[in-house]
Amino acid sequence: MDWVLALIPLLPLLGSLAIVLGGRRLPAAAPGIIATVSVAASAAVALLLLPHAAGEGIRSRLFVWLSSEGFAAPFGLVLDPLSAPMAAMVTVVSALIHLYAAGYMREDPGRVRFFALFNLFVFAMLIIVLADNLALLFLGWEGVGFCSYALIGFWFREPKNAAAGQKAFLVTRVGDVFLLVAVLWLLSRLGTTDIVAINAAAPSLPAAGATAVGVLLLLGAAGKSAQLPLMTWLPDAMAGPTPVSALIHAATMVTAGAYLLCRLNPLLSQSPAAAAAVAAVGALTALYAALCALFQREIKRVLAYSTMSQVGYMLLAAGAGAVGASLFHLIVHAFFKALLFMAAGVIIHRFGGENDITRMGGLRREQRALFYLFVAGALCLAGAPLTGGFFSKDAILLSVLERGGGFYRLLFGVAIATALITAVYTFRLLYLVFLGERRSPPPAHPHAIGRSMMVPLWPLAALGLLGGLGNLPGGGWLDGWLAPVAQPPPPASHAAEWALAAAAALMVLAGWALAHRRYRGAAAAAETGLARAFRLGLFADEVVRAALVRPFHALARFSRDWVDDRIIDGGLRGAARGFGGIGAWLSRLANGSLLRYRTALGLGLLGLLAFAVAVVWRP
Amino acid sequence: MSVPLEHVLLLSVAIFAIGLACALFRRKFLFILLGVEIMLNAAGLALVAGSAVWRNPEGQVFWMLLAAIAAAEVAVGLSLLIHLHRRRHSGDVDELRSLRG
Amino acid sequence: MALDESTFPWLSLVLFLPLIGAAGSALLSRWPSACRAFALTAALVELGVVAGLFGFSRGDGGWLRMEDFDWIPALGIRYTLGLDGLSLVLVGLAAFLQVVAVLASLGREKSRAGLFYALLFAMESGILGVFLALDLALFYFFWEVMLIPMFFLIGVWGHERRRQAAIKFFLFTLIGSLLMLFSLVALVIVHAKATGQYTFSLLLLRGTELPDGLSHALYLAFLLAFIIKVPLAPLHTWLPDAHTEAPTAGSVILAGLLLKTGVYGLLRIAMPLFPGPAAASLPWLAALGLVGLFYGAGLAFAQRDIKRLVACSSVAHMGLLVVGLCSLDPAGLEGAVLQAVNHGITTGALFVMIGMIDARAGSRDFERLGGLWGRVPRLAAFFLFFNLASMGVPGLNNFAGELLLLIGAFRQNPLVGAAAVGGMVFAAAYTLRLLQGVLWGPPRDEAPMPDLTARETLVLLPLALLALILGIQPGWLQEIFRGSLAALPLLLSGGAP
Repeated sequence: MDWVLALIPLLPLLGSLAIVLGGRRLPAAAPGIIATVSVAASAAVALLLLPHAAGEGIRSRLFVWLSSEGFAAPFGLVLDPLSAPMAAMVTVVSALIHLYAAGYMREDPGRVRFFALFNLFVFAMLIIVLADNLALLFLGWEGVGFCSYALIGFWFREPKNAAAGQKAFLVTRVGDVFLLVAVLWLLSRLGTTDIVAINAAAPSLPAAGATAVGVLLLLGAAGKSAQLPLMTWLPDAMAGPTPVSALIHAATMVTAGAYLLCRLNPLLSQSPAAAAAVAAVGALTALYAALCALFQREIKRVLAYSTMSQVGYMLLAAGAGAVGASLFHLIVHAFFKALLFMAAGVIIHRFGGENDITRMGGLRREQRALFYLFVAGALCLAGAPLTGGFFSKDAILLSVLERGGGFYRLLFGVAIATALITAVYTFRLLYLVFLGERRSPPPAHPHAIGRSMMVPLWPLAALGLLGGLGNLPGGGWLDGWLAPVAQPPPPASHAAEWALAAAAALMVLAGWALAHRRYRGAAAAAETGLARAFRLGLFADEVVRAALVRPFHALARFSRDWVDDRIIDGGLRGAARGFGGIGAWLSRLANGSLLRYRTALGLGLLGLLAFAVAVVWRP
Repeated sequence: MSVPLEHVLLLSVAIFAIGLACALFRRKFLFILLGVEIMLNAAGLALVAGSAVWRNPEGQVFWMLLAAIAAAEVAVGLSLLIHLHRRRHSGDVDELRSLRG
Repeated sequence: MALDESTFPWLSLVLFLPLIGAAGSALLSRWPSACRAFALTAALVELGVVAGLFGFSRGDGGWLRMEDFDWIPALGIRYTLGLDGLSLVLVGLAAFLQVVAVLASLGREKSRAGLFYALLFAMESGILGVFLALDLALFYFFWEVMLIPMFFLIGVWGHERRRQAAIKFFLFTLIGSLLMLFSLVALVIVHAKATGQYTFSLLLLRGTELPDGLSHALYLAFLLAFIIKVPLAPLHTWLPDAHTEAPTAGSVILAGLLLKTGVYGLLRIAMPLFPGPAAASLPWLAALGLVGLFYGAGLAFAQRDIKRLVACSSVAHMGLLVVGLCSLDPAGLEGAVLQAVNHGITTGALFVMIGMIDARAGSRDFERLGGLWGRVPRLAAFFLFFNLASMGVPGLNNFAGELLLLIGAFRQNPLVGAAAVGGMVFAAAYTLRLLQGVLWGPPRDEAPMPDLTARETLVLLPLALLALILGIQPGWLQEIFRGSLAALPLLLSGGAP
């Protein structure tokens, strides 16, 4: 029975293999179809197994991957109350995005490569979700990193695309280092990498150790989830095709960090300091990213920063110990963010490849359906009352507030402020793209938007809007489901809940009003210095370049030219010259002059005679 | 023997020293050869004297061998000298430098 | 099993069979195609015989086979060969990489091809002798024999700066070897004074009573010879030149095998002979390994020649190997041997591929490469695959070894382990630079470039399969040599003052 569980990640892997082996010999649409079908099948399995995941869940051990003395990493999967909804979300959303991509990439010459990588990515992500030990999780972790690199730089002829992929890989790898150190430490302390065992043994860890591990895990998560300080890769990652952005940088890979922190929450909660750090990083990133999103010009970059901000909320919840709220927001966000990204792809098509929202506008008249879909997504993002986004964000805010203590109240303030800014940039996006007059001429040859590209958007919109039903406040279904693996949220008074709901709704309305005033019909005003600073991410890129990249290059060059060549080899060349010098000096004795040879001969002879006499001399 | 051995040996050493000095301090090839000859003969003198004192024929046999070798060596040396003269028109050994190290 | 009881000298057969290959190749040099066919056949036959040797594997730490004959009784030198789990996997690697090297060289016309293959086979014999010899004089003999064909291979068939590279390689190794010889003779003499018996046998020389100062000095000499070969920074500068200027087959054998003889020497000879000084030296070696890990990676990043980049990456890989080895943790030691095999496969494959790229693009310089993915997709895919393996992506072979190394290092000293993990970022840096420069970006020109031929695919496919298999299931290999490593930690801790 447990091998069925293994089908969930293995079906996409087989799909990828089939695509690679089939290659060019397949008919044009085949890679897309194979990819979509395999992921859809995986989604079907995940949904079918969902009821079985309650309580202890299902475990599956296929084989031993790595092992040595005191260490074993099996290929083991576990479908428990936390991983099951996540797996279901990943597979369902992936299937829908695959459908979209089948249309989007239909004519791209590299579609074999694309869909092979796309399926491979889903496999790796599912490994992260389902792995029962941290070593196997790390396999998925690195796997998504590689697939992300390859997919961001998919259109590789353009050097800047490959450069964006490279940046993503390197920055996330820095995070991976911290994660691996954490895993090694846990292994050396507890003798295992099994997640269930680690969570169970967590109370036995010393306080300092638990804090250290927590911080390491935070940094590892920050890399993959593009949180401060490892976030510089996400905006540039938009260089990849839109389906990539939708899948990897909205729904799955960037949420892996938050998921990890939820998975190891029993470990994390052993150290209040580490948990507070997680929450702080989440809140600060949410604020930073929201501000940056407000001033972005490219539509996908707005969404990228928006994702960064929303993932910050997930981390905030995880740090506050509210695993249910974090997961809830993670899932709902996946729905509406994927929707928004895919819609953005269509929008860009509609404007003939134009990315800049200040040059868009008026699309509402041309694309009614798209407009309504986008509005659905936008409302969820802004947290408009009764949407899924509203309930999920509210759950987070409530849990932070209920956590208590001055620190968390401060973070609550940050989160509320961010909610306001979120509403502003969301409606800014809506206004600049859809309303007002078209600011750029329509493309000469409008690209027909394939049916498969629009179809997936509808279910996502529905899920986003109605997702709130999954976890209504005051004892939602998700919280109950997660009870075996996560602490239930602290009960809050009804008054507090209603007050919070009202405050959130107020933020949305205020944000809408602000956006309405500023962006309704107005063309973009000249950019102030502050606006430019936020658009450039507060110069984070430049800071990294100056502090890390340039010194590394200089050090590498220094090693090559000075240490290796001048010092080490130079020393050896000097020694060689020395020996050569001695040899040259000695060879002066053999300069060909017979007279000199004769002299030497004579002296040697006298010396020998003297020696012989000295030996036999007996005075 | 009426002459004490020490005297003969001293004479031999003196002749050897003269021969050595001649070989060491002269530039002309002919004189170097002469010096070598003198040294050889000095050694031979010492050998013969020893043979006479200890009534052992081996010393004299040795001297005969020595004489033969000296003759051969002189033959080769003189032909080298003639060769050198033909080439460089001088008997100066300093001219021969081509066997460099 | 009947094979076990037989007295047939399998080890000697394995050792001297390549010489038949050498002789045959030399004789057939007048007829190039026959020569090539013979060389390939000889390499495959050797691989077959070695594969048969795997049948002796028992999974414990004992000697699987031993052959012992008189050789020079007056000096106490015997012809002693021994096979245990450790030497078995390395012998297997040697035979396998020989086939790879020969296959990779078949493509292009070589001047004096017969001599080329003859030297390759002579080198194989030398390397096998190093892995099999248990008499130290015999070991030293093969150690030197290993060196000479490589010198000629680099010096005659290499690239532009081959002569300097060959001489540098030769001198570096020779200095270490001579120090080792002095030390060996001294050890034998001390032993003879104590026991009255002259012997060069490794097993008998172990446990010789030595005064402290002398034991440290002798150990240092042996150590130097081996760490020059590994190579351990800062004694590594011969490696970039030698690897870069060598012809493809030479680079494969150099990276795949010659470096591992250094590791083998440490494990089999230097440490067991002098446990006390060895235990004391471990922290220093680990520190140097750590330096090499980062320095090698930085150096690799700064290179302009792609072959030199891969060569410098070997310094980094071997640095990490040494760190794990010095931990004496079971996982670290297993990781070291596993990585020795893995590195041979992965880096060997990379050198083969660079040879292919060089042949097509006519250059190894970053300035002249780029955009190969669009022009030669199959070649590019393999190149990407092997680079991912080299970078340590889980699921492929290098990660399996590296993870064990890191576990070992971390368990022994968390700070060292954590620092070693940092090497991952640097490895990614230079690997990505390599990929960027070769595969991505716009192509330099649109002239048609031939993709992989059947022969080239035949070379790369087994390497890729091995990399994948060893990445997913390295256990079977670990089983073979695990037992042989068990004794070392006990020996070193027991012998520590």
